[in-house]
Amino acid sequence: MNKTLLIIKREYLSRVRKRSFILMSILGPLIMATVGITAIYLSLDEPENQHILVIDENYPLFENLDGGDLVKFDVQDISVDDAFAALKSGEYTGLLHINKKYYTNHSGSFYFKKQPSFRVQRKIEQIVQQRGEILKLGEFNISESDYKRIKTPFEMATFKFDSISNDAQETDITPGLVGFGFSILIYMFIFMYSVQVMRGVIEEKSNRVIEVIISSVKPFQLMTGKIIGIAAVGLTQFLLWTILTFTLVGGAQYALLSSKYSGNDVSRQMNMTTELKQSMAAETPEALTSMSDQNNLFTQLKRVNFPLMLGMFLFYFLGGYLLYSAMMAAVGSAVDNDTDTQQFILPITFPLLLSYVASFVIFSNPNSPIAVWMSIIPFTSPVTMMVRIAFGIESGDMWQVWLSMFLLVATFITMIWIASKVYRTGILMYGKKASFKEMIKWLKY
Amino acid sequence: MAAILSVTNISKSFGEFVALDNVSLAIESGSILGLLGPNGAGKTTLIRILTGITGPDSGSVNLFEHNHKVTRISYLPEERGLYKSMKVWEQALYLTQLKGLSRIEATTNLKLWFDKFQMSEWLNKPVDSLSKGMQQRLQFVITVASKPDLLILDEPFSGFDPVNADIIKNEILALSECGVTIVLSTHNMSSVEQLCTHICLVNRGKIMINNHLSEVRSQYGKNQFELTFQGSTVAFANALGHRFELVSLATKNEIHSAQIKTHGPHSANELLRALLPYVELKSLKEHSPSMNDIFLEVVNEVQLESTPHE
Repeated sequence: MNKTLLIIKREYLSRVRKRSFILMSILGPLIMATVGITAIYLSLDEPENQHILVIDENYPLFENLDGGDLVKFDVQDISVDDAFAALKSGEYTGLLHINKKYYTNHSGSFYFKKQPSFRVQRKIEQIVQQRGEILKLGEFNISESDYKRIKTPFEMATFKFDSISNDAQETDITPGLVGFGFSILIYMFIFMYSVQVMRGVIEEKSNRVIEVIISSVKPFQLMTGKIIGIAAVGLTQFLLWTILTFTLVGGAQYALLSSKYSGNDVSRQMNMTTELKQSMAAETPEALTSMSDQNNLFTQLKRVNFPLMLGMFLFYFLGGYLLYSAMMAAVGSAVDNDTDTQQFILPITFPLLLSYVASFVIFSNPNSPIAVWMSIIPFTSPVTMMVRIAFGIESGDMWQVWLSMFLLVATFITMIWIASKVYRTGILMYGKKASFKEMIKWLKY
Repeated sequence: MAAILSVTNISKSFGEFVALDNVSLAIESGSILGLLGPNGAGKTTLIRILTGITGPDSGSVNLFEHNHKVTRISYLPEERGLYKSMKVWEQALYLTQLKGLSRIEATTNLKLWFDKFQMSEWLNKPVDSLSKGMQQRLQFVITVASKPDLLILDEPFSGFDPVNADIIKNEILALSECGVTIVLSTHNMSSVEQLCTHICLVNRGKIMINNHLSEVRSQYGKNQFELTFQGSTVAFANALGHRFELVSLATKNEIHSAQIKTHGPHSANELLRALLPYVELKSLKEHSPSMNDIFLEVVNEVQLESTPHE
């Protein structure tokens, strides 16, 4: 059996069999699924419970306020103290206070014990606003039927026009979110697994098992074997996470939704899930929710090119991982123990950290100069390019993707070559205070 | 005899420090070569070059074919190390396979050695749970199980109690009888005397001695005598004159024992003739220096030579 293959096999099996790996493989999806399921569950239960006490200081201005299925209003002309006492008693979930100055300032205050979703808050605002508008109809001598005809909502679907294919593609935020998710995943995986490479190298060095091994195989074989073996561990973990998370969420969704709602409601509830997810993003909730109201999550997800995204994920994860793990292997070989690594890890992972932070900015403007540059530079491209690809890249800008991919491959090959030179000297050096300067010297040995 | 591995004019420096300075060495096939030298002499660097772990800055390393096959080298480093959390058997199999053996071959060889060293009940234990001596034994077994043609052992006895050290010594001799060439680096001079056929003494990056053990001994044992006598020590000292030098003198139960060094090629007869009129001799024999003496002599000589220049 090929020696490198033997090393890959050992690195892979010794990690996959570890209790921590198995635990992570189960806990990761559980946590992600719990977040997802909780989101669905919360959005399902909340509307039923909204019972809002309205103190109308201009009573009976808002009498018989109708909240539809979602919200039940109880409009009363009582003192603020009494209202709070009522809220305290537990009969109501919220308290809406509309004071005397409503006519001039058009505002009120909403008190709650448990935070209602944005959707519910917006619904309340809409209902009160609508009532206010209807009340004013009289002033302008407009009939209610005319008012309904006057009200002209405007919805704007957005399309991305591609100047080369002359094709316009409808866009929305969901693919971007998926890309954003992928880029965070890449960031996490590169970080986690390149550090594992470093730990592995340090383990072999401090165990002194290294000398036995490199008397039978070349240091380069050991290093690449370790890097590839750990990459396989990362991919296994990713696969497990994907499968388990989808199974768990899918199963829970089915169980939760099918038992409670008819099909129509399901899609409505799904919208709310999207809303929740989107409200976590850095965008203003209004802009997002108004968009997502038009589509349901599934039709939006259909627009995500999953095969492309998965392919790109694999490419950029592997490319970025190979680049960073090569550097980490060099660091691991240069130090004697874990505590000495601090001074190296920060400067090395800084670009990774930067691209993670930048991906938030890129998310809101995927074609800004910073986004373009960061997605081309190999040290930052693995994390940032995912977001851009998810939003879709104009045919005219495709060269950026090709360049980014080419540079990443060229850089990781160079980095592995450099790292192997540092590595083969470093692993035999003990008790020497390692520094970048020292490592550069080793290149010449 | 034919050499199994030779290095010619190799040098190696680490920055300013010269670890090996123009060293040539041929390891004879079938020999047990004792590689000696004080700490920091360049032994480890030499071994690393012999094993191919590092390359020399200049000079060449030649590994000759052994029975028309590529010569297999196995190395037991001084600083022992195993993967702590790996199981004994998995680890042994892995490290043996890394040497280029097939899984079946490795399994057969290891089984044999595990039985021989009574380690069969450890197979599924993690290495971590073994005592230090057990780990040393495991490491020795892993080193020899790959059926090497050339076995390089760096301080193989450290960490072993005398009983186990003896077992290892016997195994080394048995391996040698099977035709395995062995390089033994150690500070344990008595084991060098017991085992080695050849000696290579390294000091300050240079080879000081490189010869058969018997040759080395006779070379360094010349002109030294041990004798016991009764009588006046003053008369004894006077009788030695300028041709003989008194190295040491000890007295026990009125019997004095002395060590004499001759200046120039003087025989035992001459010494007898000089002494007989003055003291009553009890015994006289030619001194056979221990490896320890030779080691100290060579290393100290170099130190004395170089001290004034520093």
